[in-house]
Formats: sequence, C-alpha cells, structure tokens
Amino acid sequence: QVLVLYFARSAELAGLRCETLSVPREITSLQLWEEIVKVHPRLAIIRDQVVFAVRQEYVLLGDQLLVLQPGDEVAIIPPISGG
Amino acid sequence: MEESEDVPKDFIKLKSEKLSIDEVSELVVSPYCGAVSLFIGTTRNNFEGKKVINLEYEAYTSMAETEMKKICRDVRQKWPSVKHIAVHHRLGVVPITEASVIIAVSSPHRAESLEAVMYCINTLKASVPIWKKEIYEDEYSWKENKECFWANSEK
Repeated sequence: QVLVLYFARSAELAGLRCETLSVPREITSLQLWEEIVKVHPRLAIIRDQVVFAVRQEYVLLGDQLLVLQPGDEVAIIPPISGG
Repeated sequence: MEESEDVPKDFIKLKSEKLSIDEVSELVVSPYCGAVSLFIGTTRNNFEGKKVINLEYEAYTSMAETEMKKICRDVRQKWPSVKHIAVHHRLGVVPITEASVIIAVSSPHRAESLEAVMYCINTLKASVPIWKKEIYEDEYSWKENKECFWANSEK
C-alpha cells in the first residue's frame, strides 16, 4: 500500500489530494500510472506531462522498475512553476 | 568560549505570509562577506493580454524543501566561498506585485554571490515541486516553467 499524492492539475482531475492505493511491490512506473488512471480516468489527459516523485525522487513514466515499500509516498508531479 | 565562526548556513522557508526582503538579506549578512546578492521574483498582472486577478502557489512541501537543500549543496560545491544562502518562497495567494520568492547569497567578493543567486533561481524553476495558478477574469491556468523538462512545450 502506497500513499499517492496529487498536486495542481492532477489534484483537480482526481478530485482529491491524497489516498492510499494497493499496488504490487515491484512495478514499472508506467504500470503504476496505469493503476492510478484505473481509479481516476480523468487523469489520462495529462499522461504526457507528468512525472512521478517516488520517495521524493523524480521518476519518468516508463520502464523503470520501482521497488515499493508499504507507506512509500508516490506523488504525481505536473509541470512545475515555482519561482 | 570562542565566538561562533559564522558557520555557513542555509535558510530555507516556505510560508504563506508576505515575504520580507529585509529579513532575508539580514539572514545572510556576514562580517566575513563583502557581497550580498538578492533575487526577488514578483508577480505580474498580465499574461498574453489577459488580466491576472490573483496568483496561488501550492507545493509538495517536504520534497520542495529537500530540493531546495540540494540546490544549496550544489551552490556550495560550485562556489565554495559562498557563505550563507537564503531561499524563501511564498505559498497560497500572492497579490500582484508582491514577492513570490526571495533568494539571497553572501560571499566575500561579489562574483560568486551574483552567479550563485542566478543558479539558485534557474535551478529552482527546473526542479522544485511548486506550482503556480494564475487566475484571470473568467478562467485560470496552471503555469509551466520552460525550465521544467517534463512540460510540453509547443509541439
């Protein structure tokens, strides 16, 4: 079970800011995205513009294999605009 | 006991209250430094002809602070003579013309602090998870920094 955090546009599309999700311990970042989109289909439209932050490290959506621990934070990161 | 030797410090803060230029520059002032360089990012009232009514910032705060600390670490590697670094970023509603970010760096001589400040703001815009929403008269828009490598620029 991981803690998924939603920010900015992704929070608007998902309709919430955080939730726990059950996912396989080993999963590619793209598969993780697809699991999340199953729960929140409206997120599909931003697929090409987001990255993840897994345990606060940026991860692109793709083949990268993630090894997740219970309670890990996974954040959906739309394009940033700080500063 | 000896007086503190003015150990180099990083001052990182995310806050919803109005930022203070005096406060941020005073954090980095040091008797060993002849230069304090400052960058202030202020909010503009227009974008592509649309009038901006308000700006709102949100952040993944724990990771934003971590990324800001990484920037400070990088600065110290690139410019070892840099003394203190302060990065204050405002969150929540920021009225037009008020500061959304203030960065201050002190160093013995001016070249390093000037370069370090530029590096800080450029890297912040590329890597710190903070988002800005511009609210216009009849719509709003989540902004995207061109420095953000996963933003879709025009295809």
